[in-house]
Amino acid sequence: MKKYLIIPVAILLTAWAWVSCTDFPVDEDGLLITDRAECYVSNFDLLGTDFQTVRVSAPTIDTTAQTINIKVFYGTDLKSLWPQFSLVTDAKLDPKITGFVDFSDLSNPKKWTVISGNRKVKKTYTVYVTVQEKP
Amino acid sequence: MQRKYYSITLLLLLVVFFNGCKEEEYALPEAKTQLQNECIKRSLGPNVVGLDLEFVYAMALGYNAGKITSAQVEASIPGASGTYLEHRSFYTNGSGVDVPVTVGNPSVTTGAKTEVVFTKDTCAAALRYFYIIPEEARGKEVTFTFSAKASTGETVSYKMGPYQIAKMDMKLDLVLSDNNKMYLSVADMAVYNAAEAAANADKIDLVYLYRSISGITFAHALAAPAANPEYLPGITLPAGAANNTKYLKVYGLRDRHLARLQYGIYVDDVDFEKIDFTNATNYGLNMKVESGAWVETADGKYRAYIFVNKVDNGKKEMTVSVKRYAMK
Repeated sequence: MKKYLIIPVAILLTAWAWVSCTDFPVDEDGLLITDRAECYVSNFDLLGTDFQTVRVSAPTIDTTAQTINIKVFYGTDLKSLWPQFSLVTDAKLDPKITGFVDFSDLSNPKKWTVISGNRKVKKTYTVYVTVQEKP
Repeated sequence: MQRKYYSITLLLLLVVFFNGCKEEEYALPEAKTQLQNECIKRSLGPNVVGLDLEFVYAMALGYNAGKITSAQVEASIPGASGTYLEHRSFYTNGSGVDVPVTVGNPSVTTGAKTEVVFTKDTCAAALRYFYIIPEEARGKEVTFTFSAKASTGETVSYKMGPYQIAKMDMKLDLVLSDNNKMYLSVADMAVYNAAEAAANADKIDLVYLYRSISGITFAHALAAPAANPEYLPGITLPAGAANNTKYLKVYGLRDRHLARLQYGIYVDDVDFEKIDFTNATNYGLNMKVESGAWVETADGKYRAYIFVNKVDNGKKEMTVSVKRYAMK
């Protein structure tokens, strides 16, 4: 009779011990650190105060030169734009985007760093914004 | 040993089974025969001056006990003209249509009291009450006392409220047209043409224009008189029109009062108080249907929400509805 009780308990304890000992490393943001070394921006958009896109066409993202060129509508207020990045799986962005960003100083383009999933590769992208001109 | 446990379990199951199957006697609940009443509020959203507060007041007494003789509503602030209590009780038929049944004479309003005297021998009725919010109630609280009398001499009453009446104003369907009624005054809640604008230059908060320029998207636009002239092409402003109105473009904020669409969103007094104009500019190009803008007048006296109901590229017109809140 006893063995019927002891065997399942032993199996359960072993399973629990196995699971609890597996290590899932996380970074300072509580995000999972993975094996992925890819580090690039796959898409980029800019939203106005109405949270609608202000880009005229798809941006040009150069992953080698680490630049993003985006053209926005005529009349766009560059002082309040909300950037939206799409990154490769498991990557993260630094600094984090927490609100509207002022892009009005065109001579000092904004920069963001993409950090890979394994947190070992870092690439800094520069965002160049141009405003559609009146013909 | 095992058999003993099986027997106990079986016995317990039998006990549970017999208890579970015990039938309880059911008796039809007896309806109360004395006069009773109940009330619900039907209207939703902020209570804006000029709109109505709608209620349904239900009253009943036992079928053989007597009949209802009158129903009355007393508001803490008299309603505006048009306030009434229905003299018809409605029921919904099989097709979902509300069918009226007349139970008394049309209501008579004296001061804050609105009364319906019953003419039909009825022991139950549900009457709708429409309170048109008066100017005197702006920013105040209103309460209502519904009451009914029966031939038995019984009287019942039901208190509703208090309801906070909004401070804001509302104006629907202002038609702005390019090169004509193109000046919008938030202070006056009106649109002006060039001659009228010249007489009210200091009250012009926004200028409407429609431009179809190839290569860029300009279309329907609103700009403050003080906006960069680049955004006011071909416009000669009336002398003295120089307000630098704060303008924050939004999309999809379909206030139910302004849009009159199916969305249950309401802009209320508190929204005007809390809106942050840090990211505001003083113009908005390419305004589309169901877009809008939060606006603050140059003197900071008013804040408004402008909703775009309709745009017409052919006529070069834009229809807007406005909610306005006095900040000072």
